[in-house]
Order: sequence, then structure tokens, then C-alpha cells
Amino acid sequence: MEKFKLHFKRISKHPFFGFVLFGLALSLIPIFNNFLPVSFVDSAAKTLIYFIVALGFALLIGYGGLASLGTSSFIAIGTFAIYTVMDLLNMPFALAILIGVIVALMVGVIFGFVSLRIEGMYLAIVTLGLSEIMIELFKNFDKFTGGVSGTTFSSFRLLGQSLSTNQTFFIIIIAVVIAMILTYNLINSPTGRALLAAKNSDSAARAMGISVIKYRLIAFMVSTVYAVIGGMFYMAYIKFSMGSTWGLAVSLNILAAVVVGGSKSIWGVFIGTFIIFGLDLMVFQQIPFLSQGAFANFSFVISGVLIIVVVMYYPSGLIGLFKKMTFKLKNKLAKKSKGERKS
Amino acid sequence: MKPLFEKMKHLLNQFLRIYYTKKLLKLNKKKVFNENEMTFKNHQLEQKKERLISKTESKELSEAEVQTKRQEIEIRIEKELTEAKQNIITKSADIENKIIKMKAKRDNLQNALISKIENDLLALKEKNTHLEKVISEAKKTNKDLNQADELIQEKEEELKNNLRKINIIESRKNTEENTDIHLSLSHLTMKFGGLKAVDDLSFDVKKGEIFGLIGPNGAGKTTVFNCITQFYKPNGGDIYYNDSNNETNSLLDFKVHDIINLGIVRTFQNVELVWELSVLDNLLVGAHSLYSAGFFSQLLHLPKIRYEEKVLKTRALEVLKKLDILAYKDALPYGLPYGVLKKIEFARTLMTKPNLIILDEPAAGLNDAETKELAQLIKSLRDEFNLTIFLVEHDMGLVMEVCDTICAISFGKKIAIGSPSEIQKHPKVQEAYLGGE
Repeated sequence: MEKFKLHFKRISKHPFFGFVLFGLALSLIPIFNNFLPVSFVDSAAKTLIYFIVALGFALLIGYGGLASLGTSSFIAIGTFAIYTVMDLLNMPFALAILIGVIVALMVGVIFGFVSLRIEGMYLAIVTLGLSEIMIELFKNFDKFTGGVSGTTFSSFRLLGQSLSTNQTFFIIIIAVVIAMILTYNLINSPTGRALLAAKNSDSAARAMGISVIKYRLIAFMVSTVYAVIGGMFYMAYIKFSMGSTWGLAVSLNILAAVVVGGSKSIWGVFIGTFIIFGLDLMVFQQIPFLSQGAFANFSFVISGVLIIVVVMYYPSGLIGLFKKMTFKLKNKLAKKSKGERKS
Repeated sequence: MKPLFEKMKHLLNQFLRIYYTKKLLKLNKKKVFNENEMTFKNHQLEQKKERLISKTESKELSEAEVQTKRQEIEIRIEKELTEAKQNIITKSADIENKIIKMKAKRDNLQNALISKIENDLLALKEKNTHLEKVISEAKKTNKDLNQADELIQEKEEELKNNLRKINIIESRKNTEENTDIHLSLSHLTMKFGGLKAVDDLSFDVKKGEIFGLIGPNGAGKTTVFNCITQFYKPNGGDIYYNDSNNETNSLLDFKVHDIINLGIVRTFQNVELVWELSVLDNLLVGAHSLYSAGFFSQLLHLPKIRYEEKVLKTRALEVLKKLDILAYKDALPYGLPYGVLKKIEFARTLMTKPNLIILDEPAAGLNDAETKELAQLIKSLRDEFNLTIFLVEHDMGLVMEVCDTICAISFGKKIAIGSPSEIQKHPKVQEAYLGGE
């Protein structure tokens, strides 16, 4: 028993333990699906899907220091890739992922090569332009995208069986946990450190033998792959996608989510995504007083104020605030226990 | 048609030669990694030994039993150590074989290049004798015609340029022959628009010495630095470098991020650490070129990357211990004292076991006591790690104390080179610093 406890203690300290626990906690939502309002479950799924996208984007902006506004068009590529492969061509999901990733990598390399020369605001503007081009393309390739009116998705199949929304939710949870683990690995590896070094000082990074261009391209590609996979799950769950909805607003929301939560922490990114995408439908709309009448749009005010406050006072995101609080709490507890020991 | 073909062939050869050289350098890095592996294994097994011994001690045995157990453990550890050593030795032999193969491939191309250079040299020399003849004839025949004067001037200019080219080629030969030269600048010229920041600068840095580059503000010291580390591509001249295997390379063949593979590391004027990473992780950034695990290995945290991470972490701890800053290993560099930051940057450069360290104003921002400590540190590092140190500095006290050779430049031109006392007495240096009479 003692040994088991020790073993458990060691496992529980591993960061992956938290991620798996988080996945288990999330799986309560589809399990108790019948007792929860539909809007709650739907927005939870949406939050998780955007969380996957935001994780990739956090690597790009938090570690690479590259502010791209083209995220939404990559999500759109994901949605249309899965529609084309699974609905039009009747092929399995694995192939959809493969094709989606390949298309995304090609587009990601184009975006990435543009980013090699420019930085900061200019990069944001250029990627914005590229994403606007993408929207026009979606409108015109109506065979694959449904054109202006968008397209619906018939059913999400895995291993030959079509899955219900509830089962899809489970798949999304698994994908979220995997994405968290992979992101954690990447952040704590030479790649993550090289990106941070390049963001801090381009010349110092190059003097240390880091090929800045290579790592920026890697960051771009990783974030596009995450976005495409997020888009696929979006289509699998929501079952509708329209080219013109994937504009600047979605990209900006994801940017805001990452900035509010804290771009250098996986939990921070989750908090940010929850506040931007989940807070309204999952919490405020469930409270009867807030969901009616004059307060119907109250949540947007709150999230707006939150963004302002966080950006002004907590540049490292809400996670920075939490860390500060827990640090203070621990200090207080330590002092208390010391005092007790003395007396 | 033929010259074009020749040119294409030459370019292809050049490309392949550089490609092979880069591969060779990567293999050399693996060798460095292997050395680190050795210390790591030693460290690991020592820890294991301690753990096992403490386990036996806690078991309440009689003294004789403890002794025998201890001996058993020692034998076991010894065995494991020899096994590990054997493993590493076979690995490094493997690498050595690969190096020899790669070298054979590279040397073919290198020889082609060298013979081409020789041909160029001969052609240039021929041209020069011809030019000299033309000039002397022109001088003899039309002494008073303006046109002839212009012609003579033109030809003389050409002659000068050719001589410079010959010098550059010959200094390559010179560096190849004299293996005690580490770094050789030959007629280095760097222009920014109309301004010549570095003008025809040549000097040699010998192995194992501390070489100081001094000069008044705006003399072009930092530009020289940036030319050596390839942040700027010079407009003229060449830079040759003898690496630890006594192979001569022109630094102009490499990109900025390849320079560290040659064994050249630099520090920065205003400490350029990664502020979001702990001190230990900063050192690992410095060891970036030693990692060989690929992207997917990193993404999935496969055993390879975990092993490399462990090995290099022990190396980092070793370096931190040597520099006496082990206490800061988990701290964020932000807010640490400036002297400590400088030491961290030093430690970062030592991660890859370099041969030549380039220090850009190491004493900038330090007080007198810290500067003295720094001088001690530089000297002891040089002796301990067998380094060559090349530094640019404003603080004359430091330069005069640590340097073996000093080169003084002013407006991009060399004005004096020699030992500290020679430089101090040199009238031109005094003039450059204090102004003419």
C-alpha cells in the first residue's frame, strides 16, 4: 500500500497526469449529456475545438513571437477538407486528416515564407490579406466548399461506423488531451527553447547555431496543422461550415483567447479559450436572470472588460495572476506553519 | 559555351564542398556530444553507487557484511562503467569512420578548388608582370601627355588590386601551413554605402592567446566582429580559420548559424539571454547545436531526446559549477546582478566546447571590482578549457591586463599591433586616442 502511494505520488507529479485528469473531467459532459442543456454541451465542444486551435496558435505567438491573423482560414481548410474527403469522396477519416494536413502544410509554408522577412504588425497585416484571399477562394470553389451558402456535413464516420454527436465529443476530448501532451513536449524541447531564443534576440539565437528561418517555419506549420485538425472536429461536431464566416473575427477571437489566458502556459490558453468562447453560452446563458431582457448581451461586456484589464495589468495573462495568487497563498501557509512550530 | 560550363561546374563543386564540410562539422559535434556522454555516464553511475551504498547501510548489517556488500557494489559499478565506456568508444569509432569517408569525398573537391586557386594565382602574377611592363613603357615613351598619366594611374590601380588578391590567396596558404594561427583576417573590407567601416584590415590570432582589438568609438571594432561571425558579409578580403583538426576554412563559406559548428562562439555587448527561460535552460539553448534528435523525436518525447537532454543537463551543471554560479540554476535571469548575467553568458558559450570565444565588450556595465574578477575569469578559462579568446574592449585596464597581443584600429584601419606595453608606447595609438598635437 505504501509503495502504491509512493508510486502514485510520483505519477501525480508528472505534468501529463494533469492533462489526463482534465480529459477525464471533461468526459463527464457527454456522460451526463441528458441532464445538461443542449446549448451548454454544444458550446463546451466548440470551446474544446477552439482550444486545440489556440494551442497551436500559442506556440506561434507565445514562443515564436509571430502574430498571424490567418488562423481562421486554416480552420476553414480543415472543415472543407473533411467535407471533401468524407462526404464527396466517401473516404475514411484517416485519409481526411492526411490530405488536410498536406494541404495545410502547403498553405502554411506559403504563409511561413512570407513571415520570414517581416515581423510584428506587418506580418499580421500580410496574413490578414492572405486569409481574405482564402475566403474569396472558398466562395469560388463551390464544389468543395458549398460556395457562398456553405455546406453541411452528413455524418462523422470512424472505422466504418458513423458516430453520434456524443461519441464525437469523446473523440474531441481524446484529441484535446493528445494536443496538450504534444504541445507540452514541444515547448519543453530544443524546438521550444530555440523559438523563444529567436523571439528574444534574433542575432543571439543565430550565434547559438539556431537557424531562425527553420524554426519559424516549424512554428507556422505546427500551428496550421493544429488549426486544420481543429477545423475537422468542428465539421464533425457542428456539421456546418460557410466560407465567409471564417474571417477576421474568428482569428481575432483566438488571438484574444491566447493573450488573455497567457500564451506561454497550456492551462492559460485553456482559461483564455474558455473565457472567450465558453463563458457566454456555458455560464451566463444558463443563469435565468442574465439570459433575458436587458442583460442578454452582458457576457460580451464582461469578456471585453476582461481583455482590457488583463492586457493592461497582467501581460503574462490570467495564468500569471493565478500563479501569483498561489505563490502568495503558499507563502502564507508556510509562514503559518512556521509560526505554529515556533510557538 | 565552354567557360559557362566551367563556371557552372565550379559553382556545383563549391556547393558540394561546403555541403560536405558542414556534414563534417556536424560529425565533429557528435564527437563533442560523445565526450559529454562519458562524463554523464560517470556521474550517473557514481550516483547509483551512492544510492546502493546508502541502501545497504540502512539495513542494519554487521560491519563485515557491509564491507563485502560495498565491494560487490563497487565491482558491479566498475563493470557497468567499462561497458558504458566500451559502448561510447565503439560509437565514436563509428563516427571517426564516417568522418574519414566524408573527408575523402570533401578533399577531392577541396583539391580541385585549391588547384583552381593556384591557377588564378599564376594568372594574376602574369597579369601583374605584364601591367608593370605596360606602366614602365608608358612612363618612358609619353612622359608629358595627360592621357598617358591617366592610363598609368588606371593600370597602377589594377596592379594594386591584383596584389591584394594575391596576398589574400597567399595568406590562405600561410594559414594552412602555420597551424598555430587560429584566425587570420586578410585585407578585410566592409563598406556601408560610401563609408568604409573596415578598411583593408589584416591580422592573425594565434592559438591559445588572448587577443584584444581596441580603438576609439566608431573605429569599426564591432563591424570586424560581425564580419567574423558572418552577420555581415564583407565586401572584400577573406577570413580564414584553422579548426581543432587543423583544417583551414574560409569563414565566408558559412552562414551565421553554422559558425558555432566550427568552434567559434560569441557573446554580446548587452547580455542577450532568453529572459523567459531558467539559467539551466539558457545553457541548453547554448548547446542547441549538439542536439541531433529530429522534430518528431522532440514532439513525441522519444528516448533519444530524453537521453540527449539528460547528457547535456549534466554538462550544463558541470559548467555552472566551474563558474561558481550553480546556485542560480533554476532562477530566471531577469533581475540577477549584472556580473552574474555575464557569467551565465560565458557559461552558455562553454557548452559546446568551443576553440575560439569572441567577447564583445565583456566589461561593459561592470564596476571595477567586477572587472577585476572578470579578468581573472577570462585568464583561468583560457587555461582551463584551452581556449583562444578574441575580445573587443573599451576598458583599457582590462585589455592591458589580460591580453597577450593587442591590435589597435582607427577608422577601420590598423594602426598598430603588438604586446600591451608596445601598444601603450606607440605614438600613433596615442594620437588616435588623445588627438594629434
